[in-house]
Order: sequence, then structure tokens, then C-alpha cells
Amino acid sequence: MKIVVAIKQVPERDAPIHIASDGKWIEEGDRNYTINEPDAYALEEALQLKEKNGAGEVIVVCAGPERVQSTLREALAKGADRAIHIEADDLTGLDTLGVAQILADAIKGESPDLILTGLQSDDLGLGQTGVVLAELLGIPHGTIIMHVEPTGSGLKVKRELEDGWFQHVEMPLPALLTIQSGGNKLRYATLMGIKKAKTKELKTVATAASPTAPAITLERVYLPEKQKKTEMITGSSAEIANKIVEKLKFEVRVI
Amino acid sequence: MVDGTLSAPAYSRSFAGTIFFLQNQDAAPSWTLAEPGHFPAFESVVLILLLLGSAGLFFWRFGPILRTILRSKKDADFSLQPIGRRVWDFFWEVLCQGKVIRQRPLPGLAHAFVFWGFLAFALVSLNHIANGLGLGFLSPESVVGRFYFLFAAVWALLVAVSIAGLFIRRFFVRPIWLGRKVSYESGFIALLIFLLMVTYLAAFFVKDGGSTVKTLWWVHTLALLVFLPLIPHTKHLHLVISPLTVFLKRDDFSKIPPLEGDEDFGLVAGKDVTQLISLQTYSCVECGRCTEHCPAATTGKILNPKEIVLGLRSYLNEFGPASDTPLLTEQRIASPDNPPAKYLSMEAAFQCTTCGSCEYQCPVGIQHLPVIVGLRRGATNTGAWEDDYGTKLFLALEKNGNALGLSTTERDKFIQKQQFPVFDGTQEYCLWLGCMGGYDPKGREIIADFARVMHHLGTTFGVLKKEKCTGDPARRLGNDLVFQTLAESGLKSFETAKVQKIVAICPHCVRTIATDWREFGIAPEIEHHSEFMSRHRDRLPKQSGDSIVYHDPCYLGRYQDVYEEPRSVVAQAGTLVEAPRSHERSFCCGAGGGLAFLGDETGERVSHVRAKELAATGAQIVGTACPFCNTMFRDALTAVSEAPPQLLDIAQLTARALPASQPQDSGGTN
Repeated sequence: MKIVVAIKQVPERDAPIHIASDGKWIEEGDRNYTINEPDAYALEEALQLKEKNGAGEVIVVCAGPERVQSTLREALAKGADRAIHIEADDLTGLDTLGVAQILADAIKGESPDLILTGLQSDDLGLGQTGVVLAELLGIPHGTIIMHVEPTGSGLKVKRELEDGWFQHVEMPLPALLTIQSGGNKLRYATLMGIKKAKTKELKTVATAASPTAPAITLERVYLPEKQKKTEMITGSSAEIANKIVEKLKFEVRVI
Repeated sequence: MVDGTLSAPAYSRSFAGTIFFLQNQDAAPSWTLAEPGHFPAFESVVLILLLLGSAGLFFWRFGPILRTILRSKKDADFSLQPIGRRVWDFFWEVLCQGKVIRQRPLPGLAHAFVFWGFLAFALVSLNHIANGLGLGFLSPESVVGRFYFLFAAVWALLVAVSIAGLFIRRFFVRPIWLGRKVSYESGFIALLIFLLMVTYLAAFFVKDGGSTVKTLWWVHTLALLVFLPLIPHTKHLHLVISPLTVFLKRDDFSKIPPLEGDEDFGLVAGKDVTQLISLQTYSCVECGRCTEHCPAATTGKILNPKEIVLGLRSYLNEFGPASDTPLLTEQRIASPDNPPAKYLSMEAAFQCTTCGSCEYQCPVGIQHLPVIVGLRRGATNTGAWEDDYGTKLFLALEKNGNALGLSTTERDKFIQKQQFPVFDGTQEYCLWLGCMGGYDPKGREIIADFARVMHHLGTTFGVLKKEKCTGDPARRLGNDLVFQTLAESGLKSFETAKVQKIVAICPHCVRTIATDWREFGIAPEIEHHSEFMSRHRDRLPKQSGDSIVYHDPCYLGRYQDVYEEPRSVVAQAGTLVEAPRSHERSFCCGAGGGLAFLGDETGERVSHVRAKELAATGAQIVGTACPFCNTMFRDALTAVSEAPPQLLDIAQLTARALPASQPQDSGGTN
């Protein structure tokens, strides 16, 4: 089985975030970058599928500036067979469709049996790239996947619904799945993996013809604003209790 | 000289055997060694044949061992420097038997007598054999000979008594460390040694040239010739190679050698076993000191350091030093002929707290830690070790840069709250927080108190803006990728901040930065806060009243030889009480080797055993000098004691006597 994993590199959450002066994105400065967490689970799922199957190929794809190569190398170290780096210095001007188009162009030629992505990204959290990518490639997709099991010709997948419910779906191949975090246990990168990764192929491709103009533009990013209000309630115990109940019922609406 | 005819008493003696003479009233010692006189040609020929046979048998058995050692992988980092240290170790540990005696005084002394006796006997034995070939060079009649034979006789007596004592110990007292199986070989060899001594001494009681003396001579010779070929396949091989092992051992305690080239991941298979490791495994004398002091072996774990060494030896005997067969049995295919050896298993290898007791105790220079950590490296670097806790730890170190897996903003907040200045080159010290000091609530208390002590002393310090784990748990668990990344990043951050001097509260951090990082660069000078405080102890508040039992952390004591400094700080803060096992015999808290981050232990908890011991001293306070020991005892003391003693780090012991209103700011210019 040939599996493509589309991954994204996101800012590491190891330092306080500062908003860039234009208010459109965060200050990148000397920030560290890492693999988007749900994508790490997508990669893990791909590697496990390959290991269970005993054969196959796992190809990781990532679009972005040169720094994304470190994340691709790490994926190779964990066991991916080859990597494709789509050179794109600035993705912030694109919307989901634009990014999906770039990815689709690079993946098309590989004609994989299965494409995996993370459910959503840690930075933007739109949760659409995978779905749009499937649409562009004209293949079926499943979202919020917890578990994948190959059947003879297709797949049996377990989707997470709300409220502790799960849905089991059978689907044909080729297909695209967006993977939920926590379904598997991630592996650690090993020295042997890093050494082997040195000899693995990391291909750099240029971005295909400019994607369609974004239908969605990012207006402003900002840090969560403080909304903490402290109000002292006075009166007798009974009055205080009444006021609290009222507030919980009508203002906070939790009872 | 003697005429060679049999006189009546000599005749009876020769048949009465060697014991009889001791009771024989007529046989007053002559103070001169009797010699057998003339050897007919056929006797000399028999002797030569026997000599050749014995030596041949010895080399026939010793050859393969020597070949295994020589054909093992070269130790790429080996250097004879510092030669002075090697000569000293050889002098103290081999010639003086310092370690053997110090750690087990009575059997140690007995062993030393046997050893020194053997040395004294070398000349005697040479002359003894030479006599048989008519080449004797030391005459009992000469002044030198007379003196030397008497000198050797004193030793013979000591050897005989000692070996008898050791025999009684092994077969009647039977300490469990010698192994559950009684070694009949050892008994036989003890008898041979006893026989050698008795036949030598007996020659002082008989007349020159008689048949008795001839019989004694032959019995002595045969004992010698039987002994020789027994050496290679028994623990007595240590006679031949352990002096070399002690001389050649790696120059640092628990030294983890660098990996060489792209195919080296640690000890995966026989081909990774180096010459030093090979030499060491064949030197093992099976005395069991390593096991006796092992916190894993003595609390019901599988790990047994002695069996690791012996397991490695059996592996080398079976598969050879070039083998690709995995060392750890999980990765080997077990069959009825080749059952999985539980000792050389992944489970055993990962039960080690790297406390270093085994390596410290070993009298023949075996360095267990490079082996155990090497086995772990082989398992972790190749991904063969699958452990949920271990994976979680490695991912936390990769992602968050700290072993606790917390966001680095937690450390920033703590620094802000404490108003610790950021190191900017103007302060004297860089205060290294470490994972515990930066993220753990109790560790933070220790750091805060130590900062107060530094303020009190007027020492300026700053903390690094960003700090990652030293990589200690990754290092000990064999993850070289994570360790290297962290070490390189740490070295860079010191360089960028232009740090000259570092002080830390965690012995693991100190050891790792000062020693393990050397592989990637030279870190600034670093010291443990006990050393810092000890230097300034005259200016620390003198307290009296509380009795404080001090627990030696493994990574401070055995690893860095720092025993007295923390004690001097404790003595300033109260009355120092010693635990039954202290200094270099201190018993581990159970946290080292990355085990603090792994899952539940099997058997009894190491921390409980030690906590019981500390509580039983009746001291009011348990004083620690390592945040990991501290965290282990926090739970353990409450679990083992109804009214547990207080638990305080040496920094806290000191800071509690400082005025409470100590300013928390600056670190600037006082």
C-alpha cells in the first residue's frame, strides 16, 4: 500500500506568543517549529499500517519554507520512506483551497492508495485542508478517524462522533482520512532512524502554477482577551444564594 | 648432604603422609627448608613432560579466551592517560588490595594474605621447579635463601589459615552473594592451595634429601601442575588477568564511551562488545559484591549485575565477539537448547538505577555501567525498547526540553515570580535550575531557598532565559539522539550567554554537564550547591538542636566523590547523624537512570527500603542533596513511617535559619 501523509509544520508552543506588527500573524523571529500534533498521529497510523502489512511505502509531503525540511527529516527518521518538500516561502496569504491545491499538485503524480492528514492544524485549526484535498483529487474521505483497518479491497474505519459515540464506516480505496490525535501511541525518533534517514530521498519541488485567489482572508489575529470580571455579591446569606442561582441560571447559563 | 638411604623415622614419615608430621614430637622445626637433593634423569624427564602437559593444557584453555578478548572490537576512546591514576589504582587496588579489604574487611584481609602469599611464593615456586631440573638457584643454606624461605613460610602459614577461613566461609557460612550453587571447583582449588602451603611448611620438619622430602616435593609439584590448567575455566582466571583489568579500566566512573561511526548504536550484538568489556567479563571472580550492593537485585528485581557480566561471558563463549546475534535475549530466538536467559534481558537492563554501587564495589575493575547503559543504548537507539513511559519521556524531552513534559512557559512564570535575574554576564554565577528546580514544586522550593542563601552570602547570580534538560535521563536510558541534541543545545546556550561558572542543586545535572557533555564540547566550570555552601560555611547561620541524617546521593558521592562538603553544611544546620549505609556505600533512592520517569517497580520499592533505613536512625530530619532523592523520599517516608522525619534539602536546612524578610530581588551588585 502506498500511503502519502500530508504534514504541516507549526510554531512550537515553548515561548509566549507575540502578535506581528501588522496584526495578521504571530511574530516568527527565533521561534522553534515542530510537526503539527494530529499530523504526527497521521504519520504514526501510516507507519503502523505499513508495518502490519509488511510492505508498502510511506511518503511524507509538506509545503513551506526551507525550515520544514527538519520536520520532514524527522518523519523520515521515524520510518517514512521518502519525503517531498513543496517550496513555498509564504503560505499565510493562501486559504485552505490554495494550500490544498498546492498539495494536490504534488501528490497527484504519486497516485497513492491512501492519503492521511491530521484532523486539523495546531495553529489555524480550520480542519478543512484534508477534506478539500480529497475533493480536488476526486477521492472519498473520512474525518476524525480513530482507527484504520484494511479489508481486502478497502478500509474499515472508526470515526469519533460527539458524546462518546463512534461510527464504523467501510470505504473503498483510494481514499483520504483525517486522523484524530491520541488514537495510537507515538514513537520516539531513534539514532538508528536518523542515521537511516540520511540516505533517504528528500525531493524538493516548486509550487505549481499560482493557486486561485483566496476566498477567505485572515483579517486579524489576537491573543485571547481577558474577560475575567470579579463581582462581590453582598447581602444576607439567603440573598447571596438567590443572586448566585440567578446568575448561574441566566448569565452563566450552567444550571 | 644426605646419603639417600632410608632411615627408619624418615621411612615412617614418608608413609604417614603430610599430616602426621605435625603431631610428631620428634619433628621439631629445623628452621631450614629441606630439599629433595638429587633428581635422577627419569624424574626430571617426567617433570618436564608434566610441566609441558600442564602448561599446554593451560594455554589450550586460555588461548580461546585470549583470542575472544583480542578479537573484540577496539575501544576507540581508549587512552593510557592519565597513566599516574592507572599506576595508583594498580598499586592500591591490586598490590595493596585496598578495595578488597576496605569493603569486606575480614574476607578481604584473608584474600589479601593469599594474594601477598602468592607473590612471596613466586620465587619459591620457581626455585622449587628448578630444583627438579637440577637448576635450583636459591639454596636453603645460603643467608639469602635461609631468610627468604623463612619469610615465605610465614606467608605460607597466613595463606593456609586464610584459605581455610575462606573455605569455611564459602561452604559453611555460605553468604548468598557467592551464589546459591555451591562451587565445588572453588573448594577443590582451595584444597590445592592448602596442600601447596602444607607441603611447603612440612619441608621445614623433615631432613634433607630423604624420601619424605621427595614425596612432599612431588605432592607440591603436582598440586601446582593441576592448579595451572584449572585457572582459565574457573573464576581463578582473575589471577592472571584482573591485574591487567584494573590497570586498563576506563579512566572515569561510569564512563559512557562515544558511539563510533554510523553503525554503532551501543551494545546490540557481540560485534559491539569492546576489548575492555571482554577483558572485564573474563575477569569476574563471582564474589557477588556488585549484587550485594545492587538496589535492584536486593529488592526483588530480575537485574543482577553479576549475572549481567557472567551472561555476557557465556554469550562470548557461545557466539564469539564477531556475532550478530542480539545480546538481549528478547531479540534472540529461544529454543530448548538455548532458553532465554532472564538476566541478560531487556527487562533486567532497564531495572538499573545506575547508582554505580556495582562498579564502585568491584574488586577486579569491572565497569558495569558502560555495559548496562550500553545494552540500553542498543535497545533504545534501534527502537527495540518499547515502553510507554520511556516513549513519553523521550517525546517530552524532544518537544518540551524538560523531563516533566511541562510547557516552558511554566519555567518563565516561576522565574518571574521569584524575580530571578536573567544571566547577562555581569553576575558571578549562572544558577542552573534543572528540570526539578524549574518545574517541580518541591524542586522549586529548593532553588528558591538556595537563591536566598546566595543572597545572604552576597553572591551574584542569574538564570538562563531558556534552559533545557541536560539529557541525563535520556543518556542513562540509552537515547543518544535526544541526549546529543540536548547536550549540544545546552553547550550553545552557555556559550551565547558567556557563562563562566555554574552552580546547580542537582547532582545529575552537574555530572552530566561536567562529564557526559565533554563528548560534544567543554562546558563552563560547574559545581554542586553543597560544594558552594561548604566553601562559605563559616558565614552560614550556625544552628543547633535538630538531628539530621544525611543521605548521600549516588551521583554526588560515588559519581563525583563529594562526601564531606554536604556533611559540613548539615553539621552547620544541626547534629549530623550517619545512616548505616553511608558515603560510598550509600543505598540508592531508586530514581536514577531515568527510572524516576518509568512505571511501577516490581518487588519492593527501592525508595521504601532506603526510607526505612533513614527513618530508623531516629533523626528528626532527613537531609538530602538531590531533588530526585527528595522527591522519592517524600512519598516513601510517609509510607514507611507513622511519624516520618522532616525532609529537607541542604539548601533548605541552611535557609530556614536566615531572616524571613530576605529580599528576593536583584542578584545584581551586592
